[in-house]
Amino acid sequence: MEKVLKRCIHTKRYLNEVYIEVRKQDFQDACIDLYQNGAAILRVMFATDERQIDGTFKIYAVFSMPGRDEFFVVYISLEPDDLSFPALTYNIPAAHWYEREIHDMFGLVPEGHPDLRSLVFHDSFPPGSHPLRKDWTIKESDLREWGEGVLKKQPYDFMEVAGEGITEIPVGPVHAGIIEPGHFRFSAVGETIFFLEPRLFYTHKGTEKHFETLGFSEGIKLAERVSGTSSFSHSSAYCMAAERIAGIALTEKAKAVRTLLLELERLYNHIGDIGNMCAGTGLAVGYAKGAVMKERLMQLNERLTGSRYLRGINTIGGVSRDIMLMRDDIMTVLDTVTGEYKAFMKLLLGNVSHRERIESTGRLSRAIALRLGVTGVTARASGINDDIRRAHPHLLYDRLNFETHTTAKGDVFARMMVRAEEAECSISMVHSLFESSYSGGLTADRKEMPALCSALGYTETPRGSVFYWVKSDEKGGLFRVKFRSPSYCNWPAVPFAVHGNIVPDFPICNKSFNLSYSGCDM
Amino acid sequence: MLREILKNTFGRKKAISFPEGFTGSPEDAAKISALQEKIDRIFRRSLRIRQVDAGSCNACEWECTALTNPVYDIQRFGIDFVASPRHADVLLITGPVSRQMELALRKTYTATPEPRLVVACGDCSIDGGVYKGSYAVANGVANIIPVNFLIPGCPPSPIRIIEGLLAMLNKVS
Repeated sequence: MEKVLKRCIHTKRYLNEVYIEVRKQDFQDACIDLYQNGAAILRVMFATDERQIDGTFKIYAVFSMPGRDEFFVVYISLEPDDLSFPALTYNIPAAHWYEREIHDMFGLVPEGHPDLRSLVFHDSFPPGSHPLRKDWTIKESDLREWGEGVLKKQPYDFMEVAGEGITEIPVGPVHAGIIEPGHFRFSAVGETIFFLEPRLFYTHKGTEKHFETLGFSEGIKLAERVSGTSSFSHSSAYCMAAERIAGIALTEKAKAVRTLLLELERLYNHIGDIGNMCAGTGLAVGYAKGAVMKERLMQLNERLTGSRYLRGINTIGGVSRDIMLMRDDIMTVLDTVTGEYKAFMKLLLGNVSHRERIESTGRLSRAIALRLGVTGVTARASGINDDIRRAHPHLLYDRLNFETHTTAKGDVFARMMVRAEEAECSISMVHSLFESSYSGGLTADRKEMPALCSALGYTETPRGSVFYWVKSDEKGGLFRVKFRSPSYCNWPAVPFAVHGNIVPDFPICNKSFNLSYSGCDM
Repeated sequence: MLREILKNTFGRKKAISFPEGFTGSPEDAAKISALQEKIDRIFRRSLRIRQVDAGSCNACEWECTALTNPVYDIQRFGIDFVASPRHADVLLITGPVSRQMELALRKTYTATPEPRLVVACGDCSIDGGVYKGSYAVANGVANIIPVNFLIPGCPPSPIRIIEGLLAMLNKVS
């Protein structure tokens, strides 16, 4: 840490964010020092095109250390005449996808990166075209050809596994079930998966660029639609970033409503996910019971907020409805669900055929999870004690008494049990939220957005941590929005977890991760 | 057992109302029984839907999945989601059609045997929704393949999807 601070050009502190500007040649050393000596976790890494402000591109790497509620944002400026920067991937494997993404979206070259194939864009996207640059334009014909997908302008080389008895199984992007699109290429030896290469970003919707055309308030609607089942967490993180920029302090009541809804979102996701895992093992009764509980909670959501996905409730500076008034409804539903849930878990844990399938399947070791920087349930099931609610307390989480549940096994069973324990924990948190009363109105006073200010927003979604980094422009609009959904960190871990498992177990492994394609693809 | 099956088959047992404690009034159930008659008559009790995600946020998919849960239990009306477009009567498409899904969508459409119906489900699939104008989306399914019917909503709730399918079937006859 001291080493980093000694070399920096200047530092700036904003709330719990410490911005450290370093010279380009010191970037690698500074990040590696934080990572290795400080045991810091790379939370998010991104670039911005600030040529119209100070004539440079900037690259930011956000770290946080266990036990410290601070974010260390190491950043460098790149002059437009030299667009390369030293890659971190060799030493910090978690930077792998971020650097490829920066390469695609900005055309900045991470020097020494082991794999610079296009991550975001598929074969027919014109090479040398970088959408997140401010002066980017594209020809109508290029867009049409991109969609048609006939011309292979930058062919993607899948990793090939050669040898006797290796079969290649391509799957997707349109899958058999009702799920999101993605392409998987298995190299199997008989039934056993030797190697899996996922090709994602089929649902890339240009969300980050689209944010830049919107105002701060309109941005909420888009943030809610980044990943359907984490709508509320995403909009909360986005609003948090905006509120930190404007210096708005939430009222107690708004904090309570947000905490409550975050926990309700976690609850319906976790219970639904445990139910869905049963679909992977062919336990139809478990699947049905999970779906019924999920439906109860979704209908509760609809009565509380008017949306089954908790949309339209967050505003910048607060919330639009006082959910705390609907205590009776929430309590009735939770009591019913708690009863059903207990019987449900008893059924699952007592079912030999279900347990047999999920125990020791899809193991993700702690070492790999740590190196890839996975987050959320996946990380905790592999023995990494990391929960944004604990590590960086926000809303009312510093006041609530809850545990971070971890297990060391890292298999599908472990992920199911971490979800089960967290679901119980969420139920008790909702109960304790109703024990006290909260003062203040629903929204704090509106303030003007200051020009050219930036801040982080974050929270724990049901899948893991989500980060928003928002910067305002001169007129108080959105200059740049970077979001990092938990699925983006966890997707690279899936191939490691399925290695050595049989192909028919892939769906159950995949369901145990339950990753969002839309959130990852941006 | 056999007698029970025969009784149900010949008695044309009508839709059961929703389980207690859930939204979904008897009127909603009645609407579904009308739908069932249509399916019985036109599709011989078997309407098969292939759902294609063309870049949605995943909320619409979960609502489609909810249709098969014990509360809505859409299979009891002879409607089901199938694994291949080759088995489908209806393509139910969600999402604004991201450019990188365009080709896959066209291929799925071609793989669906005629006569086929295409339903655009959700606001994004109608005109791009919140993603309208982004460089990476085609602003709605109709810009890529011919669409027969629209189901608005963001996302449309399971009941709205069922109603939408009913309205579509009314149009078909």
